[in-house]
Amino acid sequence: MVERSQQEVWRLTPWLAIVLCVANFVLMAFDARADGGQRVIRVWAQTAADFVQSPVTTVTSSVSGYFGSIANLRTASSENDALKQRVQELEVELKAKEDLATENQRLNALLNLQEKSKYKVLNARIIGRDPSVWFDASIVNRGSLDGVKLNMPVVTNGGLLGRVTAVGPLTSQVDLITRDKSGVGAVVGEIAGSNALGVVMGTSKRELIEMRYVPGSAEVQVGQVVYTTGQDGIYPAGLKVGEIVEVESGSATTPHRIVIRPSAGIGSMQEVGILLYEPQAKEEFEKQITPPTKPAKK
Amino acid sequence: MDQLKVTIALILAVLLQWTLRNVAEPFAYIDFPLIIVVYAALQRDAVKAILFGAFSGLAIDALSGGLLGANGFSKTLIAYVVSELARRVYLDNLLLRIPVIAGACLLDDLLYFGLHRLLGQEPAAQVMLTVSYSLIGTTIAGTVVYLILDYFLTERTSGGGSRRRETLSARRQSRRRNPIRLGK
Repeated sequence: MVERSQQEVWRLTPWLAIVLCVANFVLMAFDARADGGQRVIRVWAQTAADFVQSPVTTVTSSVSGYFGSIANLRTASSENDALKQRVQELEVELKAKEDLATENQRLNALLNLQEKSKYKVLNARIIGRDPSVWFDASIVNRGSLDGVKLNMPVVTNGGLLGRVTAVGPLTSQVDLITRDKSGVGAVVGEIAGSNALGVVMGTSKRELIEMRYVPGSAEVQVGQVVYTTGQDGIYPAGLKVGEIVEVESGSATTPHRIVIRPSAGIGSMQEVGILLYEPQAKEEFEKQITPPTKPAKK
Repeated sequence: MDQLKVTIALILAVLLQWTLRNVAEPFAYIDFPLIIVVYAALQRDAVKAILFGAFSGLAIDALSGGLLGANGFSKTLIAYVVSELARRVYLDNLLLRIPVIAGACLLDDLLYFGLHRLLGQEPAAQVMLTVSYSLIGTTIAGTVVYLILDYFLTERTSGGGSRRRETLSARRQSRRRNPIRLGK
């Protein structure tokens, strides 16, 4: 009797495996559609994982901070001497800067300029990294309850890091610009002063990204800085993307191949900022563009 | 009781996979859920192993930048293949399990990568490097985990302090008979 039930289980097993594999494959095919939406299962899993990831991150960061401070004590004496000398140099520089700042304030008051912050930045901490080694997504401890929405840009001190691809109530998932599917509308140099427009995409190398479709006739040099154009409908204009490290020159008919090192320290980031920026809806944007008037037929 | 212990081990493995990469990057190369799924499959409980594979794969995919269901697919398939292998071949020795976990890891990585390429996604990692590191990390960690699991999932005999595997004797009994003939 026991053997027969075991045999039934053996008969059942391939069918169970087939059903589950087909279900997973359908889920994959559905997820691969680039409709820009987010999956409910991700939101649930993120919320559940937050209860584990947040305490673990807090504990590990405090432990590593403690041992890091002990290690730093060894070099403290020599650093102290160097810093004393640096303080003296900076005091002289500071005096010169104070004079410049006073002059700047006076001129600003004359021109009636008002300093405005373009976008509100929400500080967030990375509490989890992609559990699969094949991708580089990160989980941050800010969610829809903090005002985070899908596709909001994520930055660090250095520059653009990525965008929000899934939002839970307490946490959000961030996809980095190093991913091949991330397309960032970018320009080499200042927006108004350059015609070297292109799209920045990820490569198989994690520390480098590539700029494509830049016309071969445009002047591009190693060391130039790349900024966002704001034309992709996700990222605002003027965010620093990175610095050009390699250029394969194109021709009049073929585009340049430009390799960029991202400004944001992608491997070592712990704290990030989420820009509470929502681009104009496509319909609103299209309404603003007036169609060219056709010349009347004679 | 052993069923509960393995289930707890799987939940712990998923939690470790969710958290450890943020502690230290090299932990990303150890696939903890795969280790437990293969262990369950080696116990010849195919249904449990397949369900473990599907559940843990989806749990990993949910927090990953990859496609939802890719890990679920590969781990379900591996659970089935290993349980079928364990039904036909004697794999209760720890030394025999090492190539099994290594092979499972290799197949899992190649399936995961292949599925993404099939659906037009390009993983951010370099294939050869990732597969090699993953193979080394998961095989070493798997061997250690199996030793620990064997220690906790065996019961003490009444006579002394020695331990024996409960599943070993049950399997030997079933192997002496032919279940297909008995079913007729």
